[in-house]
Formats: sequence, structure tokens, C-alpha cells
Amino acid sequence: MNSMGIALAILGAACASLFAGIGSAKGVGLVGEAAAGVVSVDPNKFSKVLILQLLPGTQGLYGLLTAILMLSRIGIIGGNPAELTTAQGLMFLGAALPIAIVGLFSGIAQGRAAAAGVGITAKKPEHNGKGIIMAAMVETYAILALLVSILLIYNIAI
Amino acid sequence: MGRAEYASAVSAVKAMESLLLTQSDMEQLINARTNAEFESLVSAKETENKTLSDVWEMLKSYAPDSRELEILLYRNDFHNLKAVLKAMISGREPENYIIEPSNIGIDVLKEAFRTKDSDILPDYMRETASEAYELLTKTLDGQLSDSLIDSSALRAMQKSAEDFGGDFMQKYAELITVCADMKTAYRCSKMEKSRAFLETALCGSTVLDKESLIRASLGGTDSVISFLEHTQYGEMAQLLKESPAQFEKYCDDMITELAETARMQAFGVEPLIAYYIAKEAEIRNLRIISVCRESGADIETITERLRKLYV
Repeated sequence: MNSMGIALAILGAACASLFAGIGSAKGVGLVGEAAAGVVSVDPNKFSKVLILQLLPGTQGLYGLLTAILMLSRIGIIGGNPAELTTAQGLMFLGAALPIAIVGLFSGIAQGRAAAAGVGITAKKPEHNGKGIIMAAMVETYAILALLVSILLIYNIAI
Repeated sequence: MGRAEYASAVSAVKAMESLLLTQSDMEQLINARTNAEFESLVSAKETENKTLSDVWEMLKSYAPDSRELEILLYRNDFHNLKAVLKAMISGREPENYIIEPSNIGIDVLKEAFRTKDSDILPDYMRETASEAYELLTKTLDGQLSDSLIDSSALRAMQKSAEDFGGDFMQKYAELITVCADMKTAYRCSKMEKSRAFLETALCGSTVLDKESLIRASLGGTDSVISFLEHTQYGEMAQLLKESPAQFEKYCDDMITELAETARMQAFGVEPLIAYYIAKEAEIRNLRIISVCRESGADIETITERLRKLYV
């Protein structure tokens, strides 16, 4: 059995959840700081800023979803690991890269956009929705990356 | 310090900006029929941060690095230096002449002069404190030592802006310096002060060269005005001649306009500085309204004297 192939595929799954998770953690953390600043002055705005804080958290979920799909596809979750060549392992690793890399950077960027949106909520709470929309625009690229990763995972012949 | 470090502080400040007095609040205060109505309107609008010291403490508690904010209090620090120095020399207590908030406690200033040990003072003030003490004890010329301290405050601001700040802080230091130098040059020319005095009293900046300003000031008031008219701050020259009060207002408004440029920033120390400037202008406006009402000034006069609002 060529263990290198399966090891590379597992590395891919790990990268997907690891980097996208880091991006989300950084993004959510940044918005959390900004939100705490507003809530310290006006606790009534908690629910409004919470929505903004949740936005950069999705990249972590996309990373998790990619990792689960990949682990399922290679049989790790079912307890029956597939026999993968090194080339196939590399393909799975490559399939994980879109969401891993885009998840990392878009999580951070979305965190910055959402933290700026917290500023809108702080000063003009009635325009909270605009802040959410602007931060949500960043999400598009994370979704595109997730889509590419999923398409790749399901189209690698094993 | 990364700009994102200020995410919490900036958001808190933006929430507080919504509590600043607006134009309509000011109009209500000006139009209050009785002093009791005025007082009740003021207390209704009052927030937790009533004084600048409260604002300062709040900003320091939010800012990850308060050194970047210290520039805001340099003028107060150097004013307090003047107050303590003069009080020590004349054997009085300086407490009544102190401005708060400040970066340096009054006890530290008193201790520095009592022990003649300026090393306990921060770097930006150490040399000035020694020089001013020497100057005052040797010449007993309070005006000269005051001028030395005032120009040193401006230099300290310029240096701090260069060391810690970006474009915003540098512009802030420049505006403060330009306004102070213009005023000093004009007054000195009126009082026919010597070159030696001007060299001590003027700070100079990239826009108003010190040597040119000294030469203009030695040539008389018309020479100063004519020199200033040909600089980028030319529109202020006539105000300086016609109405010192309007000149002061123009300077304050320019600082508020600068603060407004920081309003759009989501991160960084600038929104905090802008909030302090806004609060400073608000407190000044309340004082103007209160004093004008007491002296029986009409609504038009009060409105004319009010500083530009940040909100």
C-alpha cells in the first residue's frame, strides 16, 4: 500500500480546516474587539454587532466542510481508507488549497470589513444593514473557493 | 502598533461620537430663555465624560498604546511647567494655575525644580525645564522664559508627531505650530521685540520658515501681514490684523476640520485624537455660550463666536 498518497490527502484535509479556521479566528477576533468597544459604551447594540461578528466565521465552516467531504471521499471517515497513489494524494492536497488559502485571507479581510461596519453600527445603528452587506461581499470569494474545492474533490478519480 | 489594535477603541469612540452635541443642541442652548433652562439643557445632554480629564482617562483606557496620544497634552504639560516654575520662584503654590489633563503630575514638576533634577521629567521636557529655570533665575524675565517654554512645546509636538504619528499627527502639529507662530510673530512685531527674543519665541515649521518669520516680524506689523499673505495660510493674515478672536476661532476650526478627516477611518489612533479634539471644541463652545449669556451678548454674537462642530 502506498501510504504517501493517503498522507497527502489527509494533509490536504488538515490544511483546509487549519488555514480557513485561522482566517476565521482572526476575523471573528478582530470584529469581537470592535464590538466589545461599542458594547462597553452602549450595551443595547449587542445584537446588532453580533451579526457582524458572525460573518467572518463562515470560512472556518467552509474549511471544515471541505475537510469532511475529503475525508469521506478517501474513506477515512468510513474506516476504509482508499488506496491512493502519490499523484492522487497530491490532487487531493491541491483540491484543498483554494478554500485553505482563500479562507485564510478572506477571513481576515472580512473581519476588517466587519469591524469597520461595527463603526457604522456604533454611530448610526439604523444603517447597520449597510455594514453587513459590505462585509458580506467578501464572502463571495470564500464561496467561490469552496465551490472549486468541492468540485475538485468529487472529480478526482480514485 | 498595528492599526487593527485600535479596533475596540475606535468603535467605542464612534459610539461616543453619537453623543456629542449637535448644531441643533447648540441652538437650543443659545436660545434658552433663562439660565435655569440653560443649566437643565446642559445637564440633560451631559454624558459620563463631562470634563477633558474624563475624556482623556477614557481614551487612555481604550488605547493600546497611550504614548501615541500624549501629543494632545503637550501644550498643557508645558503650560504647567510655566506655572510651576513661576510659582516656585515667587514662593506661591502653583495648583491654581495648573491645567488638566496632563501627562506629567504637578508633584513631579515641583520635585524637579525643588531638587534641580530635571532627569525625573520626560525626555521632551527635560532640556526645556533646565533652560527655562536658568533663564528665569538669571534674567527674571518671565515673558522670555514663557516664550522659550511655548516654542519648546511646539518643537516637542513636532518631534512626537514625527516619531509616533503619521500624516494626520504631523498635520496636527503643523497647524498648532503655524497658528502659534503667526500670533507670536504679529504680537512681537507690535511690541518691537528684538531678534534674540524672536529666536527664542518662534518655533518655525516647514510651511512657515523661522528665519523668514523673524525678518518679517522685525520689519513691523505690515511686514508680518504681507509675509503671511504670501504663504498657504494667507487668508488668516487679515484675521490676525482685524480680530484676534476671529483668528483664534479660525485656528480652532482648522483643527476641527483636520479632525473630520479622521472620522472616516475604521482603524488607527486618529479617530481617538479626533474625538478628543471634538470634545475639546464642544467644551469650549459650552463655555463660550455660558460666558456670552452672562455678559448679555445677543444670539448673533454668540453664534459668530462658536467653534465649528465635529458632528
